[in-house]
Amino acid sequence: MAAKSRESVVLQPVSKSGTGKASKRNITYINVLQVLTVAALLGYMEYAVTSGKINRIFMASPSSIVEEAFHIAADGTLWPHLILTLQEVLVGYALAAGVGIIVGLIWTMFPKTEAYGNVFCSAIMAIPKTAILPLLILWFGIGFQSKVVLIFLFSVFQILYSTVTGAKQCKIEYLKVARVFNATKMQTVFKVMIPAALPSMFNGLRLAAATALTGVVFSEMQSAKAGLGYLLSESQNLLNTPRMFFIIILVTLISVCFVKLIAAIEYLLCHRWSRV
Amino acid sequence: MPTIKINKLDKYYPGENGETTHALKDINLEIQDGEFVCIVGPSGCGKSTLLEIVAGLLEHTDGEVLLDDIPVNGTSRDIGVVFQDASLYPWKTIKKNIAFGMDISGVPKKEQEERIAKYVKMMNLSGFENKYPSQLSGGMRQRAGIARALVMNPKVILMDEPFSAVDHLTRCTLQEELIRIRQEEKKTVLFVTHDINEAVYLADRVILLSPRPSTVQEEYDISIPHPRKRSDEYLVQKAAEIVAAISIGADKQEAVEYYI
Ligand SMILES: Nc1ncnc2c1ncn2[C@@H]1O[C@H](COP(=O)(O)OP(=O)(O)OP(=O)(O)O)[C@@H](O)[C@H]1O
Ligand SMILES: [Mg+2]
Repeated sequence: MAAKSRESVVLQPVSKSGTGKASKRNITYINVLQVLTVAALLGYMEYAVTSGKINRIFMASPSSIVEEAFHIAADGTLWPHLILTLQEVLVGYALAAGVGIIVGLIWTMFPKTEAYGNVFCSAIMAIPKTAILPLLILWFGIGFQSKVVLIFLFSVFQILYSTVTGAKQCKIEYLKVARVFNATKMQTVFKVMIPAALPSMFNGLRLAAATALTGVVFSEMQSAKAGLGYLLSESQNLLNTPRMFFIIILVTLISVCFVKLIAAIEYLLCHRWSRV
Repeated sequence: MPTIKINKLDKYYPGENGETTHALKDINLEIQDGEFVCIVGPSGCGKSTLLEIVAGLLEHTDGEVLLDDIPVNGTSRDIGVVFQDASLYPWKTIKKNIAFGMDISGVPKKEQEERIAKYVKMMNLSGFENKYPSQLSGGMRQRAGIARALVMNPKVILMDEPFSAVDHLTRCTLQEELIRIRQEEKKTVLFVTHDINEAVYLADRVILLSPRPSTVQEEYDISIPHPRKRSDEYLVQKAAEIVAAISIGADKQEAVEYYI
């Protein structure tokens, strides 16, 4: 994101100074090439699968993927799985965001709590989350709860540490101004530290959004009775390759939309003043 | 009656492995009600330290600082501070930045509006109330920083090199405005600067601090009324006097970065 906005800053004067036309033409030219590449790839997939050059089990033709998408959407197979996965992600992520931000703020307000808690959080963070999935299943079953806990663990530390980093980056001068005006600790936190930490906080929230979906799909593939991940591994067992492709595309789209949603909230809150 | 009285002030900074920095040593100062005092001295001698102690932002080691005969411990409503780079909050509009102190102390919105309007006008910020600091020039940001301090109506204003980050012309304009405001508002001002010309042009009295551990090396009364002329013989001569005194004090010290 940061790289993107910096790029646009660099490009702006170019487009203003009259050479904009040329660079625009350049971009569309590249865009056309990109679209052609994708079209060629899809065309080849279609041809190779339908003509039997590639076995249907290994590859799905675009038309069969679309067909499968309409099929499972129409006969209702898809919806319960989709809804369950979305619920798991939203609940797990919301918990992680809430706990991560609150603990992060407590740590910055009371440094002793950070001195106490940091070791534990670093230790738990160091465990590869996927490795404790079997334990989580043992404790929380193979249903909703274990997924929520896993997503929580996937996301919470990212959010916690970026909140803490953001609050610590709050300039000394900002805090001095608050002290000059006799701000209470609460006022300092809510009126100065949180706003100052917002960009870093959203950085964490965006990264966590991207990993949250990885967590849920993985755990549903391992052990579950429903969810998109379950549907994915089921279609693998049934050798339903078009469905596998469709679910992969769907999960990707959800992930992208989720990250975009967080970025949009950040934009609403920060775009008027933050330059980077 | 003196507004600020500093008695035998000492300040040590604790350092690593037991080394301490003796920043201020036996500082004695009296600043009268309504007086404009500039503090100059070699880089690193402790000007900012002194200012922050008076502001109640920093603890001192020994001695006392009195504001209207009451010891300063912690920040106070009666003292406003203007920081070097204005230190506006980038996430607040200029208006909200100016309102910050009033927000904190719970001034009713209607009164806030009135007071903001007054100082926006006084600081020539009309039309920029709803802009963010990043959309303003350095000089305007500094004006907003001054407005933020003035709007709380403090008795004393402390300024730490407030104009050092702006270009020469802007600085001259800001100086004129400061003189005007100070006459309108009758504030006591304690002003730290690197620029000796600025000091003699603005101040009723210039305090020269010695190199570290720093004491009051010399005091200079600038006893001509405003409006002053920058090229005034008297001011030029005072400035030369101060520069000469600095180089005596800095003889044993590393090079000084003064310009006259
Ligand atoms: N937090 C601190 N811890 C330790 N030493 C400090 C601290 N702050 C300042 N000092 C030291 O105290 C001395 C005085 O610092 P101060 O910032 O007050 O100087 P100054 O006169 O404002 O300098 P300048 O003209 O460069 O702004 C310096 O030698 C500095 O190294
Ligand atoms: Mg300083």
